[in-house]
Amino acid sequence: MPKQSFREWLETRLGWGQIVNFLQKKEVPRHKHTLWYYTGSAILIFLVIQIITGFMLLLYYKPTLEKAYQSVTQIMTEVSYGWVIRSLHHWSATLMIAFVFIHLLSLWILKAYRPPRELTWMSGVILLFLTLAFGFTGYLLPWDELSLAATKVGTEIPSTIPLIGRWVTQLLRGGADVTGDTLTRFFGLHVSILPLSLILVLGFHLYLIQKHGMSVPLREEKQNRPLPSYPFWPNFILRESVFWLILLGSLITLSLFLPRGLGQPADLMAPAPVGVRPEWYFLFLFQTLKLFPATILGIPGDTIAILLVMVAVGLFFFLPLLDTDPAGRKGKVITWAAVAFIVYAVVMSLWSVL
Amino acid sequence: MKLKDSLFTRRKFLNTLIGGWLTALGATIIQPVIKFIFPPYREPEEVILPAADYELPGPNSFKTFPWGSKPGILKRNDDGSLTAFVAVCTHLDCNVTYLPEQRKFYCACHDGWYDENGINIAGPPPRPLRRLDVIVEGEKIIIRRKGESA
Repeated sequence: MPKQSFREWLETRLGWGQIVNFLQKKEVPRHKHTLWYYTGSAILIFLVIQIITGFMLLLYYKPTLEKAYQSVTQIMTEVSYGWVIRSLHHWSATLMIAFVFIHLLSLWILKAYRPPRELTWMSGVILLFLTLAFGFTGYLLPWDELSLAATKVGTEIPSTIPLIGRWVTQLLRGGADVTGDTLTRFFGLHVSILPLSLILVLGFHLYLIQKHGMSVPLREEKQNRPLPSYPFWPNFILRESVFWLILLGSLITLSLFLPRGLGQPADLMAPAPVGVRPEWYFLFLFQTLKLFPATILGIPGDTIAILLVMVAVGLFFFLPLLDTDPAGRKGKVITWAAVAFIVYAVVMSLWSVL
Repeated sequence: MKLKDSLFTRRKFLNTLIGGWLTALGATIIQPVIKFIFPPYREPEEVILPAADYELPGPNSFKTFPWGSKPGILKRNDDGSLTAFVAVCTHLDCNVTYLPEQRKFYCACHDGWYDENGINIAGPPPRPLRRLDVIVEGEKIIIRRKGESA
């Protein structure tokens, strides 16, 4: 038998040399908007932290009406570093959602969804909603006063959709009301259904990104000269790792100095606590719903609001198909729509807080 | 690049520096993770039993009580004093029982035997049963870890 190194032995069986080759040859275009390429990997970093801290919390958390609050208290007070791990899970979720928004909005403005990257955008929008679903289901799990109230409101909103609304609400709650059954259901979604869906869609999303390479902004593309670039490995990775360290440092600092607290235990019969408010990423929707009058031309205001939101979501999802002339007038309008959305969301969120 | 009389190349020095720093960073992350996954030790400091429920009229009578998540056995001695044991075999953690007519503790898992003072006398048990302190205070029987009676 000819002598071969362990590395060769593995290579014959795995064939991973192709991947290494690919990464070494992969080039990242270099221009003044290169910075936005980092936002995707920031999301991945926080996702990895979510998975690790989530596994850890699973060791002690008990998803039942009687034990949920008690087990979170145990994590916070008895388990070594329990409060830090829970705080990291909370802050990493917050930062992950923030970067999902930054990622999508920056790609909207840079028009990275131009052909042939339409499906990359659409799978990205699905990932956004999966991430928000993670936030919404995870918020209930500690089973304190605020999480119960927020979940009651959040699961009641779909009931205003004509025809199927009531049915959607019951499906989400596992019954007519938010109860221990809702907790079990949200737990199953949060730790099993959503993670598996996310991994599938994310795999598709990443495959498309590798297949098509990085999108180059329209303005750079038009200049008709070869863009400078650097290799993915090691140049781009080095720059990214500096960014990751900054993120990791910020995450740990936030988790230690602004630790996530725990409210009073949820009581199904108690009145809603004062100042009940969703997490910051739902605030602009919350404020929008508040502003709608009870009825408009005899139709309930809630119904109109939710139908408008659904139309907006549909437009957002199909954005690459709508933006048929990215360089033209229509394209500019769509870019400004992104700016208008940002202004709207910030103003509405601030309004609901102040 | 390697300076004359230097033991390292510059690259080797920098790689060691970065590698060492990354290892230290990794260690500070792994340490809390490992601490977290081991659950906190939860043996009780003491257990308080109502004396009325544990009268134990005659010598050699006994009754079990919960010592945290393990069973304990409270036993009346011939001189009228009380002794408490953690009723868990020192061999492989099975729960033991007291057989008053034979004046022995018995572990059914691997046929282990202890005498009435909890001393291992036959079978695989390597050590005597763990004893706990018993303090009778009016209506309460306080059971504490050995040597921690205040």
